Amino acid sequence: MSATEPLLAAHDLRKAFGPTPALDGASIEIAAGEVVAVMGPSGSGKSTLLHCLAGVARPDTGSVRYRGRELSGCGDAELSALRRGEFGFVFQFGQLVPELSCVENVALPLRLEGVGRREAERRARTWLERLEVAELAGKTPGQVSGGEGQRVAVARALAIEPRVVFADEPTGALDSLNGEQVMRLLREAAQESGAAVVLVTHEPRVAAWSDREVVVRDGRTAATEPVLP
Amino acid sequence: MSAWLRDLALGARLARSGGRGARSRVVLTAIGVALGVALLLVAASLPHMLAARDARTDARSDLQLSGPPPVAGVGTLLVADVNDRFRADDVRGRLLRAEGPVAPIPPGLERLPAAGELFVSPALAELLRSEEGALLRERLPQPIAGTIGDAGLAGPAELAWYRGSDDLRLRADDGTVRRIDRFGEPGGSTAPDPVMQLLAVVVLTALLLPVAVFVATAARFGGEARDRRLAALRLLGADMAMARRIAAGEALVSALLGLLLGALLFLGVRRLAGEVTLFGLSVYPGDVTPSAGLALAVALGVPTAAVLLTLAALRGVVVDPLGAVRRARPRRRRVWWRLALPLLGVLLLLPLIGGDTRSAAEHELQLAAGVVLVLVGVAALLPWLVEAAVHRLPGGGVAWQLATRRLQLDSGASARVVSGIAVAVAGAVALQTTFSGVENGYVSGSGDGRTADVWAHDDGRPGAGAQRLAAALQGSDGVRGAVVAGEQIEAGHGDTTEYVRVADCATLRRVAPIDRCADGDVFVVGEVTSLRPGARLRLDGGTSWTIPRDARVLQRWRGSPDPDDGASYSIPDPVLATPGALAGLPLRPRTTLATVTLADDGRDAIEHVRNTVARLDETATVAMLGGRSYDREYANLRRALFAGAVAVLTLIGASMLVGALEQLRERRRPLAVLAAFGTPRGALARALLWQTAIPVALGLALAVAAGAGLGAALLRMVGEPVGFDLASIAGLAATGAAVVLLVTLATLPALRRTVRPEGLRAE
Repeated sequence: MSATEPLLAAHDLRKAFGPTPALDGASIEIAAGEVVAVMGPSGSGKSTLLHCLAGVARPDTGSVRYRGRELSGCGDAELSALRRGEFGFVFQFGQLVPELSCVENVALPLRLEGVGRREAERRARTWLERLEVAELAGKTPGQVSGGEGQRVAVARALAIEPRVVFADEPTGALDSLNGEQVMRLLREAAQESGAAVVLVTHEPRVAAWSDREVVVRDGRTAATEPVLP
Repeated sequence: MSAWLRDLALGARLARSGGRGARSRVVLTAIGVALGVALLLVAASLPHMLAARDARTDARSDLQLSGPPPVAGVGTLLVADVNDRFRADDVRGRLLRAEGPVAPIPPGLERLPAAGELFVSPALAELLRSEEGALLRERLPQPIAGTIGDAGLAGPAELAWYRGSDDLRLRADDGTVRRIDRFGEPGGSTAPDPVMQLLAVVVLTALLLPVAVFVATAARFGGEARDRRLAALRLLGADMAMARRIAAGEALVSALLGLLLGALLFLGVRRLAGEVTLFGLSVYPGDVTPSAGLALAVALGVPTAAVLLTLAALRGVVVDPLGAVRRARPRRRRVWWRLALPLLGVLLLLPLIGGDTRSAAEHELQLAAGVVLVLVGVAALLPWLVEAAVHRLPGGGVAWQLATRRLQLDSGASARVVSGIAVAVAGAVALQTTFSGVENGYVSGSGDGRTADVWAHDDGRPGAGAQRLAAALQGSDGVRGAVVAGEQIEAGHGDTTEYVRVADCATLRRVAPIDRCADGDVFVVGEVTSLRPGARLRLDGGTSWTIPRDARVLQRWRGSPDPDDGASYSIPDPVLATPGALAGLPLRPRTTLATVTLADDGRDAIEHVRNTVARLDETATVAMLGGRSYDREYANLRRALFAGAVAVLTLIGASMLVGALEQLRERRRPLAVLAAFGTPRGALARALLWQTAIPVALGLALAVAAGAGLGAALLRMVGEPVGFDLASIAGLAATGAAVVLLVTLATLPALRRTVRPEGLRAE
């Protein structure tokens, strides 16, 4: 990867679900350490764009390059390994594994990377402390509030110290106070570890935490504009 | 009451109009219930099936056990048994000769066959017409003159024939040819063997309980989605009691639909009943009629159970109006009442142990209750055992952790599904243990399957029949080794009955250590009889004969010779005579015996031997020494167990599959998230496997322990020593494990679909 090449770049992505086009020529570039908000109305294709960027879904046509490597040429096992080792994820409803305790949830990506259970849980506790939810370590997701669950999910996303964090409506299910807290912690933690953040949201208040906004409309990236300080 | 009806009706309406998701859950549950209902209705038809079969076999019975033996007259008929086997199937054959113009006609025939006319069952007609039946056709070469109707057959697949014969004569009292003046013996079926009764009770219990467990499991399919829907009702003002009743209404719709589908499925199965032969059992569609009481119990019991189970399942769920559904912190399962069930069962069984067999069988209800309680105890103990065990499981890899944590969170659903398998395996282990223990009493024949015994009749001069039979067998296809042939004559001596074996010197040397021998010599095997030279015997019930004074007494007899040498009798008859010793005596037809070593090539060697023997004496018996021959009642019960076990395991496998798919659907989002952050599908598949395998392993361990215990108790009840058939137990456990593997494999495509990114969508 050259010094000027973006960390993650998508070009002319198209993807349809049956007869319905979700992406219709979307393009985006994300630099290392950058926080980019992907905005747009419901159904505009922003989650699909995020899934294609993260290698969760494959575009019908177009290219996604991560650190100079074309993802469309990667097999399922390679993409899984990439997501395990380089990417972190936060979703709207936290999506913690209900049967695992909070500390086990945060330790899970580390364990998938081959870190031993004790070491993984030790590191997971550190992340829970940084996200100010250390006291939840032994509780299961069913026993914590929505805001607490989202903070645990952020800790889980950052535990492997990823290069990119993909956050899909991370505050969508939270009240504004909790939403602000989660965004502050996500932004701070990502900045400290040097991770880029791709933030899908339809709320300008959330997008305000990003460095730059990309607007998706009808499956196309309509505009890219820097967020005013 | 009106509130109940109103809420149940509202639940039913919601189930119908609740969109695709609700409808698919209703259909899923209904299919599960339908499978169970169909099987229950088949089971409810068993009494009628057995009664109809017994009524037909009683009506055609030609054994006149009551009243004085009839004398020849215008209304009498001579009947000869020509029962035979063709490969693995029994063939019932009868030779008939009317002694007068009004001789009785067997059921299923419109008239008696004239001499040489052959009437056959439809299944035999088909077999004789086919290539498969070519060898049997040699024994039944006559053209088919008519068909035996349903009234004269045990079942549609029975191979049976009647043939007219004009040279049939009453023989000595060997029972092969009988004179009768009617068909049918009121209550002709012998009283059921108490051991068989006892086993039948256990077979039915072991097979039906898993079906009941299955129906209970099916009634709970889709529980999590239903809980979420109830939250919306709570928001509209429904209290928890109302919400539970509404949920019960939904379950009621599924159960009623399942009942309807099950009844239709049963009717379909019933139509096919005549076409299917399962493990040698066949029935007419008309026989498959559920008894009214049992059908009513199924019709009322299944919907009632669905409602009660839903209400019970919702006791541990808190649904609040804001959509949050919480499982009440699950209380640790209590063990006392679960343990009380099998203990109570054991207490009921204990008094039956050590008494005589008949008393155990006569206390059928007590026995059934005991067995049911032990088996229900297995089903009840399993959730506790799984819960207790999974909380003690050590940590492991990611797949192991996901599985064990899932089980720790809620092991009830898995344990419930597995309890079906556990009950089936426990019952099967108990039965297998009992079957193995009592087998000796019901199985005849031993050896290596390479030798056959022949019993035929001959009325020529003594010794000639054996020579004829030996010569015929020597030249027969299917015979490899030497033939040992001789004749056996019943010999009365005082109040005892002994036997004289008549054979040439070469044959006698094979069964006893004889050095010098010439035609006319007689030998007494001193080791097996108190008879000595000079003793007077009544041969064949009449002819007087004295063992010659110069007869030699043999102190030893030879053990079983090598089968390749023409396997023979392990213990010889007490008196051995060469043909010349009995020459000139007026002896009636005698039993001629032969033992042959079969050719190794092909499965039909025995059929060639049967054909050869049938040419000499149609009523001869040919039995494989190595073929284990089971008592008919015992064999039927074993077959019923296998047929039932196959049906039950299929049902449970289907139930586990539906349960696993349902769980995948419920857990679509967490699984998609796990896949999104890179969890390999292999790890997810292994997690699914562990999640099923852990309860199954515990279930099987419990089942084997309970089944072996129950089997040991049943063996003690029938007065047999306790022993375990470890190979069979391992086989049953392996079958249960195979079901788990198959179910996991079958869920993999669904897992692949579940972890697609669509699962991540929150909208």
